[in-house]
Amino acid sequence: MKLVKKNQATDHSQAHAAFTVATMDRRTFLKRSGINAGGIAAVSSLSMSMMQKASAATEAAASGGKAEQVRTICTHCSVGCGIYAEVENGVWTGQEPAFDHPFNRGAHCAKGASVREHGHGERRLKYPTKLVNGKWTRVSWEQAINEIGDQMLAIREQSGPDSVYWLGSAKHSNEQAYLFRKFAALWGTNNVDHQARICHSTTVAGVANTWGYGAMTNSYNDIHNSQAILIIGGNPAEAHPVSLQHVFRATERNNAPLIVIDPRFTRTAAHADLYMRIRPGTDVPVVWGMLWHIFENGWEDKEFIKQRVYGMDEVRAEVAKWTPDEVERVSGVPEETIKRAAKIMAEHRPGTFIWCMGGTQHTIGNNNTRAYCIFQLALGNMGVAGGGTNIFRGHDNVQGATDFGVLSHTLPGYYGLSGGAWKHWAKVWDVDDDWLAGRFDQGSYEEAKGKPAKPMNTKGIPVSRWIDGVLEDKANIAQQDNLRAMVFWGHAPNSQTRGPEMKQAMEKLDLMVIIDPYPTVSAVMHDRTDGVYLLPAATQFETYGSVTASNRSLQWRDKVIEPLFESLPDHTIMYRMASKLGFGEQLCKHMAVENDEPSVEDITREFNKGMWTIGYTGQSPERLKQHQQNWHTFDYTSLEARGGPANGDYYGMPWPCWGTAGMGHPGTPNLYDTSKPVARGGLNFRARFGVERDGVNLLAEGSWPKGNELKDGHPEFTADMLKKLGWWDDLSDSEKQLAEGKNWKTDRSGGIQRVAIKHGCAPFGNAKARTVVWTFPDPVPVHREPLYTSRRDLVEKYPTYEDRKSFYRLPTRYGSIQAKDYTGDYPLIMTSGRLVEYEGGGDETRSNPWLAELQQDMFAEINIVDANNNGIRDGQQIWVEGPEGGRIKVMAKVTQEGVAAGVVWLPFHFGGHFQGKDLRDKYPKGADPYVLGEAANTALTYGYDSVTQMQETKCSLCRISRA
Amino acid sequence: MSNNRQSRIRHHRMVVFSLLSLLLLTLVLPLIPYAVADLGESAGKVVNPGADLWREVRQRDRSVIGTTRVKGVDSGVLINVYGEDWRQFRMQRLIPYGAALMGIVLSVILLYYLVRGPLRLQGGPSGKKIQRFTVFERTTHWFTVSVFWLLALTGLILLYGRFVLIPLLGPDGFGLTASACKEAHNLFGPMFLVAILMLFVTFVKDNFYARGDMTWLIKGGGLLGGGHVSAGRFNAGEKIWFWIAVLGGIVLCVSGLILDFAVFGQGREVMELSHVLHGIVALIVITVSFGHIYLGTAGVEGTIGSMTTGYVDEAWAKSHHDRWYAEVKAAAVDDSETEPAGGGSASTGVASPTRDG
Amino acid sequence: MARMKFLCDAERCIECNACVTACKNENNVPWGVNRRRVVTINDGSPGERSMSVACMHCSDAPCAAVCPVDCFYFTDDGVVLHDKDVCIGCGYCFYACPFGAPQFPQDGAFGQRGKMDKCTFCAGGPEADNSPEERTKYGSNRLAEGKLPLCAEMCATKALLAGDGDTVSDIFRERVTWRGSAGMSWGWGVAYGKGGLRKGRAIEGKATGGE
Repeated sequence: MKLVKKNQATDHSQAHAAFTVATMDRRTFLKRSGINAGGIAAVSSLSMSMMQKASAATEAAASGGKAEQVRTICTHCSVGCGIYAEVENGVWTGQEPAFDHPFNRGAHCAKGASVREHGHGERRLKYPTKLVNGKWTRVSWEQAINEIGDQMLAIREQSGPDSVYWLGSAKHSNEQAYLFRKFAALWGTNNVDHQARICHSTTVAGVANTWGYGAMTNSYNDIHNSQAILIIGGNPAEAHPVSLQHVFRATERNNAPLIVIDPRFTRTAAHADLYMRIRPGTDVPVVWGMLWHIFENGWEDKEFIKQRVYGMDEVRAEVAKWTPDEVERVSGVPEETIKRAAKIMAEHRPGTFIWCMGGTQHTIGNNNTRAYCIFQLALGNMGVAGGGTNIFRGHDNVQGATDFGVLSHTLPGYYGLSGGAWKHWAKVWDVDDDWLAGRFDQGSYEEAKGKPAKPMNTKGIPVSRWIDGVLEDKANIAQQDNLRAMVFWGHAPNSQTRGPEMKQAMEKLDLMVIIDPYPTVSAVMHDRTDGVYLLPAATQFETYGSVTASNRSLQWRDKVIEPLFESLPDHTIMYRMASKLGFGEQLCKHMAVENDEPSVEDITREFNKGMWTIGYTGQSPERLKQHQQNWHTFDYTSLEARGGPANGDYYGMPWPCWGTAGMGHPGTPNLYDTSKPVARGGLNFRARFGVERDGVNLLAEGSWPKGNELKDGHPEFTADMLKKLGWWDDLSDSEKQLAEGKNWKTDRSGGIQRVAIKHGCAPFGNAKARTVVWTFPDPVPVHREPLYTSRRDLVEKYPTYEDRKSFYRLPTRYGSIQAKDYTGDYPLIMTSGRLVEYEGGGDETRSNPWLAELQQDMFAEINIVDANNNGIRDGQQIWVEGPEGGRIKVMAKVTQEGVAAGVVWLPFHFGGHFQGKDLRDKYPKGADPYVLGEAANTALTYGYDSVTQMQETKCSLCRISRA
Repeated sequence: MSNNRQSRIRHHRMVVFSLLSLLLLTLVLPLIPYAVADLGESAGKVVNPGADLWREVRQRDRSVIGTTRVKGVDSGVLINVYGEDWRQFRMQRLIPYGAALMGIVLSVILLYYLVRGPLRLQGGPSGKKIQRFTVFERTTHWFTVSVFWLLALTGLILLYGRFVLIPLLGPDGFGLTASACKEAHNLFGPMFLVAILMLFVTFVKDNFYARGDMTWLIKGGGLLGGGHVSAGRFNAGEKIWFWIAVLGGIVLCVSGLILDFAVFGQGREVMELSHVLHGIVALIVITVSFGHIYLGTAGVEGTIGSMTTGYVDEAWAKSHHDRWYAEVKAAAVDDSETEPAGGGSASTGVASPTRDG
Repeated sequence: MARMKFLCDAERCIECNACVTACKNENNVPWGVNRRRVVTINDGSPGERSMSVACMHCSDAPCAAVCPVDCFYFTDDGVVLHDKDVCIGCGYCFYACPFGAPQFPQDGAFGQRGKMDKCTFCAGGPEADNSPEERTKYGSNRLAEGKLPLCAEMCATKALLAGDGDTVSDIFRERVTWRGSAGMSWGWGVAYGKGGLRKGRAIEGKATGGE
C-alpha cells in the first residue's frame, strides 16, 4: 500500500518545487512574525529543544546529498523481510520499506523497523579483548588469534580434537555456516552445533523421517491459499509478525478460520476464531484427539492415504486410545472443543498446519512433530497450495545453517557422518580422504551396529548438552576427554537451560572464546578471571552473502556498511584462525582470499558443487543476485516471477533447486506438489526409507508428479537405474564420467538429476510418506509425560523413556528424573516463550535503544489465582525457582486469563542478571546492553528429546514467592 | 473560663469552615453547566451494536484502560475524554467568563469611584501618626504583592495573550514573550507558596472572626450606606480578603506545583483538574484584589500610608478601625511607653496591637 | 485536495510495535519520547485488541485550539504541525488531545520541560523541507519526498494505514467487505463516538488439565 501525496512528483526537484507552493502559508506565517529566523533559533534555547543533536550523518543526509540504496535482508527472524538501506558516505542514514519485496511488501515488526540502529552499534564489542586477572584488556587481532590458537593446539595435543567445541550460529550467512562446518571438519571433530538443536531439531528429524525433507513445506506467502489455519505451540504475532500479514489475507479473503492451540492466550490467540488452551506438553493427545474425530467420522482423505501414506493403520490403532474423555483428562481441552477444531479442519481444505517451539522443545518433541505431519497426511493437506506443514523457523538463517549441517550429527546437506558422506565432501573440498580422517581422534569409544565406531562417524555432543561434556565424569563420555575449550561463535548461552550448571561448566573450562558482535551473557555469567577472549564479529549488514528464509528461499544480501570498529566478518575470522591452526589452505583451497577474506561468491559456488541432496546446487551467486535485483517481478502469492529476467523462477529458488545453475530449475515453492512437473517445482514424497518393509510397498501407488514418464512410485535414482531405464545416454560424456557408479546425491555433475527431471521424475524417487518411523524410540508417536510433570496421576500410564547410557556421546536421564515427585514443593508449571521486541538471547536487541525502551523488565506472567495464593501483586519482584534449584528474580505480571492458574510463563530473551545479581559491571566498558534481566533458562531444567537432544523448555515445574 | 475559651475556638472553627465551603462553592458552581453538558451528550444516542467496548473506553471506565509497552504518563489511556471537556472549559468558559468578571468588577469600581469618589477622612487628618504595620509586616505584604502580580501578569498573558498580544507582537514575538512568561511563572510559582505562608503567619492572628464583624458585613462596611462601622485592626472585609488570599493562594500553589512538576507521574486528569482550579481561583483572587487595591489606594483616603510608611493618621484609625485604635492606645498606656510622633522611628518598641483574650 | 489521515485496523493490529520503532528510526526520537504507541485493551483475555495511536491530525484539533501561543498550524494536506520556535512547552496540548499524542520531554532537573514534541505525519516543521534544522527539530519530512509516514509504511500486517483520507477509507472499506462484517477500525469515528468492534471469543480449555 503506497499512497501518493497530492503534490508528489517523481522527479526530486519537481517534488521540491511543488512542495514550496504547498508550504507557502508556513512561510507567510513566519514572515508575519517580523523577526528573522536566526533570531528565533538563537533565543529559543530559553527552554531546551527536545530533539537530540542530530549526528553528523543525519545532517549530511538532510543536506540533500545523494543516498545510495542497498538491498539487504532483515537479520532477525526467518521470514526474511527485504530492506532498503540508505547509505551515504559509508554511513547508514535511512531505512526505506521494500514495497516490492515479495515476502514482506515493505512491512516489518519492531525489530525489522529498527535495524538501522546496527549502523550506530553503540553497545557493540569494539575490539578484541581478553580477561586478565578479572579485567577486560584490549589486545590486537594477531595476539588474540595467536594465543587462542596456541592454547587450542595444546589442548588438541593433550586431549584430542574433540575437546574443543565449535558452537556455530544461525546468524551466519549460508556461506559462513558452510565454511564453519567445513572448519570443524578440518579441525577434526563432530563437536560442532548451533541453535537449530534447541529450536527445530525435533521438527527436522520428525518431518524428514516422515516424508523426506525436514523443512517448511510451503511458504508464508502460500498461506494466502489456505482455507483454514491451525497454529499450535507458536505465537507468530510476536515471533514472526510479518507472517500475520499473510495469515490475515487468508482469514479475510478466504474467510479461513484461524485455530490457535497454546497454553497461553497469546497475541496470536487474540485474533483466533477458536482458541484451545492445553496443558503444556500434551500436543500428541490433542492432535490424536482431533484425529480421533476425523477417523470416527470418515473425514480422512482415503484416496490420498492409499496412494501416498504408509502405516496409517498403525496410527489408527494408537489414535483409537485417545477418546474424547481421555483427551480432556490429559490435556484439559473440553471434548466439544476438540471436535469443533477437527470439524473445522476437515471442512476447510486445504488447511495449513503451523508450529513452533511450543511443539518442538519437549522430551517427546519428535513425536509431536510427527503427529502434526500425520494429521496433515490424514486430511490430504500435503503437497497442495494452501496446505502443508508450515514450520516457522526462528533465526534469519537457522534454515540455512541447518541445511549446511552446522550440527553434530551431519555434514552439509544432511549427508550424515558415514564414510560415504565424508568421501563425498572430501571430493567437493578437494582434500585427501586419509588426511581428513587423520585430523580426527583415532580411538573408538562407542559401537555402531555391533562394531566399534570412530569419532569421525559418531554424533558429536549437541549444544544442548555441552555443559555435560564439561562436567560429566570423563569415563561416561564417548570421547577421549571432556570438553576443555568452548568457542561461542554467535551464540547466546541464556537460550539454554540449567543456568547454575552452565556457570559451573564455564568456570571449569580451560578456554572460552566468544566471537560475536556483542559480548553476550557468556562474557559475564561466570566468575572466571582469565582464559576468556572476546572477538568482535561483524554483523550481516557489514558483509554480504546468501541467507535462507524459512520457506527455503535463498536471498542475497548486499553489504550496507563496512565493519564497524575493529570487527571482522566471520568468514575472515575463520580463515585467520584456520591459518593459525594449520588448515587455512585446505579451508579455502578453491576460493580467492583477499586480505584474509575468502570470496563469498566462491564459497557459494563451492557448496553449489556438493549440496545435491537438498538442491542447493542451482542457486549460483549470479542467479541469486538476479533475483535480488528483481524483487518486484515476483508474485506476492505464488512467488513466481512473471516476466523479467528471472521469468518463471520462484523467488529465491526455494530448495530443492535441482541440478546445476545452468539447468535453470526454478526452485520448489511447495514441497511434494504433484500438480506440477518436477522441472517446474513439482515433487512427490521422497523414497528415503527403502522400497519395501515387511512385504509392504513403500513406494507411491498411482500418484506421481505431472509429466512423470514412469507413472508410478519409483526408488531414488542411481547410475545403474538410469542404465536399466535406458536413459544413460541422455547424459553427456563429461557427465557420464562423474556419474558412473554414483547416485543422485553423489553425482557431482548433476547429470543424474538432470536426466531424471527431464523424464519428469524426482531424483530422490517417488514413495509414500511414512507414519511409522521404525528407527525411532516411538515408531508411532505416543504421548509421554514430561520429566517434571505436574500430573503424577498420568505417569504410570504415560511414562517417559528409560535412561540411556550413551546418546550423542553422553548418558541421558529420563525415567530416573520422572520417578521423583516434585509437585509438592514445585506446584506450578513453568514454560517460556518470545517477545516481539527481542530475539533469541536478546543481546543484540537489548542493545538497541529503540527496542530496549519497550521491554525494560524481565517478568513472569502468572495467573491472578496463583498471585493471590502467594501474596503477589502485579509489578512486584518475585522469585521463580525451578526444581533443580535455579532461581530467578523477576517482575510479576499478573494476568486474568493470559495463562491459566497453575502455569507460569517466562520470556527467554533476558540475560545479564544471575540468580538475583546484576552483572552489569562485569561487561566490557560500553558494551553492556541497555536492558538486562534474569534469563528464564537459569531456572529451567533437565530434559532432552529422545531423538535429537532438544532441550525441554516448555514444561517444567516451579514455585513462586515474593522477593 | 475554659468553657468560654472552648466555645470560642468552636466558633472560630465554624467560621473557618463556612468560609472554606463558601470558597469551594464558588469554585464548583461554574463547573455545573459543564457537567450537565456532558450528561446531555451521551444520553439518547443510538446504540451501535458491538460498540460497548468503545463506549467503555470513551467513558474511561477504569477496567478498560489498556496496556502499552510505551512508558509515560497515561500512555495506557486510549482516549482522554476529559481533554475535550477541558478544552471547552478553558476556551468557552474560563477565558470569556474570566474576562467578563474582571471587566465587570473593574467597571463597577470605576463607576463607584466616579459617582461616589474616594472615601474622605472625616474631619481631615489629625496630624498624629500611629503605626499600623511593622517593617516585617510590610515586607511580607509587598513581597506577596510582587510575587502575586508577577504571577498574575504572566498568567494573564498566557491566558489572554493569544488574543491580545499576537496581533501586536506577531506569533514569534509573542512566542518569546510567552516563553519568558511561562518560565517566570514556573520559577516564581513555588515562591508564592513561601509568600502565602509568610502572609498567613504574619497576619492570621488578627483575622479571626470577632464580635462586630457580622454587623460590619451587614452594614456593608459602610461603603454603601455611609457612616462608619466599628471595626478592630482588620474589618470583616479585610478578613475575608485575607482568607481568600491565603486559601486561594494555597489552592493556586498546590495546583500550580502539580502543573509545574510533572515528574511524579500525575495523569492528565489530575493536571486538567489542577488547571481548572488554578484558573478559576486565580481569576477570583485577581478580581477581588482589584477591590483591595482600590480600597487601599484611591478608594479610601489615608489608607495607602499604612503599607508605605507603616503609619496612619490617628483620625484614620479612629474612623476605620476604632476598636483597634482603642486597643493600641490602651496598650501604649499600659506599657507606659510614649508614642513617637511622626513616622521616622524604627518599629522596635512600638506597641503591637494584640488580639484580646 | 488531499486530507492526510491515519487509520488503524484493530482486527489486524497485533501489537508488534513496528510503528513505534519505525518512528524512532525515521525521526531519531530519543529514549523516553514516543510519538506513537500501541495500546492494547483486554490484554491476555478474549476480546484483546490493539490500536496504534499517535496524532490523528484532527480537522478541529483541540491542541491547536488550546495552545496559548497558537503555535499549531495546518498544512495544505491537513497535517497538524507545530512550530517549536514558538512553542513554550506548557503541555496544554497534551491535556486537550484525546489521543495523548503531544509528548513533553523532560529535560533537566525539577521536571523542566522542553518544547513539546509530536507526530508530524513525517512532514517535518516550518523550516525548509529536509533542511538540517528541520531534521534536527522535527525529524524527517517524507511528505516532501512524496512518501508517507514510515510507521504506516512499515506496519507488519498493514493494520495502520496512512494517506489521503478517501484512499485510506477505500482500502479499509474493501477489507471490511472481504471480512463481511461491520467495521472494526480504530480511528476518527471511534474517537469521536462512532464505530464498533466485534466481541471477543471465549477461551476453551484449561492449561492444567482435567481435575
